[in-house]
Amino acid sequence: MTRHVTIEPVAEQACDSEPARGMDVQRVLVLATCALALLLLPFISSEYVLTLAVEVMIAGVFASGLNVLIGYTGLASAGHAMFFGLGGYGIGIGTAIYGWPLWASVPVTLVCVAAISAVVGAICTRTRGVEFLLITLAFCQMFYGAAVKLRLTNGTDGMAGIPRPDLSWLGLSADGSIVFYGYVALVAVAALLLVARIVHSPFGSVLIAIRENERRAMAMGYAVGAYKIGAFTLSGVVCALAGILQAQYTYFINPDSMSWQSSGEGILMVIIGGADAVMGPFIGAAVFVLVKQGLSLITGEYNLFFGIFFMLVVAFFRGGVVGAFRTLIGKWR
Amino acid sequence: MQMFFLQFLNGLQLSMLIFLLAAGLTLIFGLMDILNLAHGAFFTMGAYAGWLVSRMTGSYWAALLIGPLVPFALGALLQSAVLQPLVKRGRSTHLDLALLTFGLLFATAGTVEYFFGSSFYSIPTPAILSGRIAMLGIDYPVYRLFVIGVGLGVALLLSLVIDRTLIGATLRAGVDNREMVTALGININVVFVIVFGCGAALAGFAGVIAAPIMSVYSQMGIGIVVTTFVVVVVGGLGNLKGSFYGALFVGMTDTMAQAYLPEAELFAIYVLLVGMMIFRPQGLFGSTGRVA
Repeated sequence: MTRHVTIEPVAEQACDSEPARGMDVQRVLVLATCALALLLLPFISSEYVLTLAVEVMIAGVFASGLNVLIGYTGLASAGHAMFFGLGGYGIGIGTAIYGWPLWASVPVTLVCVAAISAVVGAICTRTRGVEFLLITLAFCQMFYGAAVKLRLTNGTDGMAGIPRPDLSWLGLSADGSIVFYGYVALVAVAALLLVARIVHSPFGSVLIAIRENERRAMAMGYAVGAYKIGAFTLSGVVCALAGILQAQYTYFINPDSMSWQSSGEGILMVIIGGADAVMGPFIGAAVFVLVKQGLSLITGEYNLFFGIFFMLVVAFFRGGVVGAFRTLIGKWR
Repeated sequence: MQMFFLQFLNGLQLSMLIFLLAAGLTLIFGLMDILNLAHGAFFTMGAYAGWLVSRMTGSYWAALLIGPLVPFALGALLQSAVLQPLVKRGRSTHLDLALLTFGLLFATAGTVEYFFGSSFYSIPTPAILSGRIAMLGIDYPVYRLFVIGVGLGVALLLSLVIDRTLIGATLRAGVDNREMVTALGININVVFVIVFGCGAALAGFAGVIAAPIMSVYSQMGIGIVVTTFVVVVVGGLGNLKGSFYGALFVGMTDTMAQAYLPEAELFAIYVLLVGMMIFRPQGLFGSTGRVA
């Protein structure tokens, strides 16, 4: 029985393969506006808005990591919170238990996560479609269980006192919300550029080919398995980066960061943003964080309303915000 | 040796519980190609419904009979009112529907927390099944033997129904060729609704059965359903025989690891999973339907 495993390509892929001239100008304009908004935000907004912006950017990095796999390779992982959590735990364990400085802990964490995600990816990518979904979820539960039970991670209490970067050599303190905002913005933009560069490279084209027609990609001589593991690793590392930022943002990490809810939030952001636009995950993250804030103002039953929101988005909003926007523009023209 | 026998029975009991869940999951997947990630939610619902019934009537047997009806109704409703219309509107990629049920998992956990809070409940063991029985040098709780018996009974019943009855023939035909079944004048959509309901009811049944051994709480379905996912991947998704043997493998591995290798408890079933992925990625009884 042949089963279609790809997430439907929501927005047309044309802009990736053959960028039209008008599209380029449009894209540059959009990016410039975003950059300007990012720069101006600290001067015009309140502390609260800055906090929200930080949350959006962290969630956006997480979602764009996941998007490499879901949107580009067509492999829906329900377990990427494991890498998000591993990032936070990595620097927690590095700084608190081994006493390494942060500048050493971060690269060591990223390298370790890369190794772990390559191994997990090599196992998971032997399946596809819903089996892949199940296995990633199972692995995530395994890491969650480990975080709960191991003494190293201090069980359900989690680890407190995760350090933010020491910027005293610049005469700044990352504990201030504006400085931390700037730090997160820099890292997020760097991560976004990295992901954009990679998915628009020949490597990214192969990933899209795998999503569209794996058999054909194989017939063309690509080592499909290796590409899938590569995509898995890349997405794991980017998610870990988001986890590091999150742990620094709250000065804290606990097993909840690796829960299935956390993985589900990532999937939701990717779907809201539209599964294959580079900016999509950030837009999805923005919508998600704002809806979450709104929900927490009116109700304490987060799981209930989040679940309903999730189902509605999957059922009716498949193209995501970017997709809906594009169809709208298409109709309007 | 006695220790081993005790653990063997414990493993068997866990296996049978997981099998009840895996059977429903795999029936639904095999027939409709829908991976119901909310299966654990039906387990939880069944347990809570059973707890309510047993509190009102004081009877375990009433709970066992009425408890599964709630997940049956909700499962049938989900299939007929949500999933089927979506399939009709072209959402046939089964990943979409799996994600939808993932959302449902959140929503039901939230609903249960809303109505029952996050306290722990329990259904008392019925008098006739409480106590212990002495055999081969150990005292084993009667209730756990009952669970083993029920699991084996359900397995036997399911295989009889599917292999020997007209209903089973219709189901098998539906798995093989949906259009042909429709052409023969069978309303396949009604079959889908009933099978979805029955799968959910099996999960709910497992929930009531598990309630005297496990605590009833809002997240009770999560842990066990992940184990169930491992079972269906190990056994081959959509294969009933596979899920029976898969449940035995996974249940035994988990119990034996807890007993003899407590450090490996967390990882044991994943080691099994990884080994299976390396040597037989399609599962024990899965068809070799892999791309190339």
